[in-house]
Amino acid sequence: MADAMAPPARQMGAIAWLRKHFFNTWYDAIFSIIFAVLIFWGLQALIGWAFVNAIWRVENKNQCTHDAGACWAVIESRGRLILFGLYPYEEQWRSTLACFAVIITIALSCLPRFWSIRRLPLLWVVGFGAFVLLMRGGFAGLPLVTSEKWGGLSLTIFIFSGVFVIGMPLAVVFALARRSSLPVIAKSTGFFIDIVRSLPLLTILFAAAVIVPLLVPEWLQGSKLMRVVVAFAVFFAAYQAEIIRAGLQSTPDGQAEAASALGMPYWSLVVDILLPQAFRNTLPSTINQAVITFKETSIVTIIGFFEVMASGNAAIGTGEWGNQYIEVYVFLALIYFVFVFGLSRYGAWLEKRMRLGHA
Amino acid sequence: MHKPAISIISLEKHYGDFHALKNVNLEVPDGQTLVICGPSGSGKSTLIRCMNGLESYTSGDIDVLGMAVGDNTQVLDQVRKRVGMVFQNFNLFPHLTNLENCVLPQIRSLGRDRGAATEEAQEQLKKMQVNIHAAKFPDQLSGGQQQRVALARALCLKPEIMLFDEPTSALDPEMISEVLDVMQDLARADMTIVCVTHEMGFARAVADRVILMAAGEIVEEGTPVQMFNNPLHDITREFMKVVN
Repeated sequence: MADAMAPPARQMGAIAWLRKHFFNTWYDAIFSIIFAVLIFWGLQALIGWAFVNAIWRVENKNQCTHDAGACWAVIESRGRLILFGLYPYEEQWRSTLACFAVIITIALSCLPRFWSIRRLPLLWVVGFGAFVLLMRGGFAGLPLVTSEKWGGLSLTIFIFSGVFVIGMPLAVVFALARRSSLPVIAKSTGFFIDIVRSLPLLTILFAAAVIVPLLVPEWLQGSKLMRVVVAFAVFFAAYQAEIIRAGLQSTPDGQAEAASALGMPYWSLVVDILLPQAFRNTLPSTINQAVITFKETSIVTIIGFFEVMASGNAAIGTGEWGNQYIEVYVFLALIYFVFVFGLSRYGAWLEKRMRLGHA
Repeated sequence: MHKPAISIISLEKHYGDFHALKNVNLEVPDGQTLVICGPSGSGKSTLIRCMNGLESYTSGDIDVLGMAVGDNTQVLDQVRKRVGMVFQNFNLFPHLTNLENCVLPQIRSLGRDRGAATEEAQEQLKKMQVNIHAAKFPDQLSGGQQQRVALARALCLKPEIMLFDEPTSALDPEMISEVLDVMQDLARADMTIVCVTHEMGFARAVADRVILMAAGEIVEEGTPVQMFNNPLHDITREFMKVVN
């Protein structure tokens, strides 16, 4: 039996493999050669620019005149601005630690063993709380650094995780409210979600930053950054709620019937049975929404926050390093790529894992 | 006099214009095994689902273990803790292991602690002969095995009544008997059972009483022998010819 089921031996030489995949017909061969030349030429140019001809260290920036290669010295000189914005130089270790706290939190919440109604929120309260305490300081001898001075990658991470921490529970509440059996709640939630989704993010953030202070008493305003994060979270929640709702609707009625027939209370039906399945069923869309949200954080520039993109612009905007804008943008692109590519690979891994029948 | 486990008086149910249940009167004494059969669309599933409140009804009275099954959700919760149900499509929770499928309802419904619940779950899974699959997920099991896990899950709550809604209809033919066997053991152990099924072999073996429904009404009822050998109505005769 075992012999009969053994997979066919893979005995294909490199030549045979090339032949099968790239030179099967004469037009395959032409396209293969054209693209091979293009790829080779592109890679050669890129490697030449980024590594071979690159200048890594300079005594002063005037040495960055070499046009053939990148001058990575700009990153060394301006990197801290890009990563930390205007955060005080001597305190930047706190910003680094805070970023690690959130990155570890994100990584841990990717592990299925943390997926429970108690562990996940607890993890985020601790991780996110550590971030805010470290960034803000003002205790145990750490000087107070208010949120106006936060910037760079750490601000991007703060906004992203803040939007997630506030937006995700909100999305669950919206999704459940929209499916409520009470028409008043269902209709008004639906109306609210549709309104938020029909407004541009920029409008909502502007309203939170500029208009809310005119309407709301001062003690309720919070800082501008807080208002922007909350508004962003509401925007995120409106979209994510629809994703969760789709997940709830794709869960068969039999699940709710079985739970009721077993005498399980409503909250348990929602928390133990429906939501876990809804999240699993909609994982690709949820990851997609997270990727979009991460990239959209750069929009806060417009209301005067120096997140990583704006800090990058500031790094080259002074004129001193003005010629090295390509290097800076490549560096920024790499930062975004690491996060977004990581997220989508994780999504792909999860989907595969779940197809195999694991939780 | 011993109170019946289930008593239903002049039950009516309308789905819009459709008259799903017409003046159904039924008593199921304690310990009895009742089989409900009938052509599809005759209201037998609707009737059994009314017994634990999964389905609402238009008028009439349903009394289960001395509790009035109606709109009162608190009473419904009490009823459901004492009445187990097994479905045609098993309805196991796919994101939980088979063991956890049996453990979680005990914790949530009865407030058992995890240790006691796990012990009970393992015992029931063993009785259903699926304990070796405890750590697997439901979709790694065959239909017959899944239905036995579903049965174990219901039995973990120590129900006084078991409702079976076409428990073998979604199974491949070779798996039907492994489910019917464990159901027969339950019936012989004097569990009160109401079972909607087309498996007349099961009815013949363990049913105390068989009911035939058609178009929302109880057409005929009697012992299995009487129903199979001397049916009074044409509908019963026709039906028995088809299913046998």
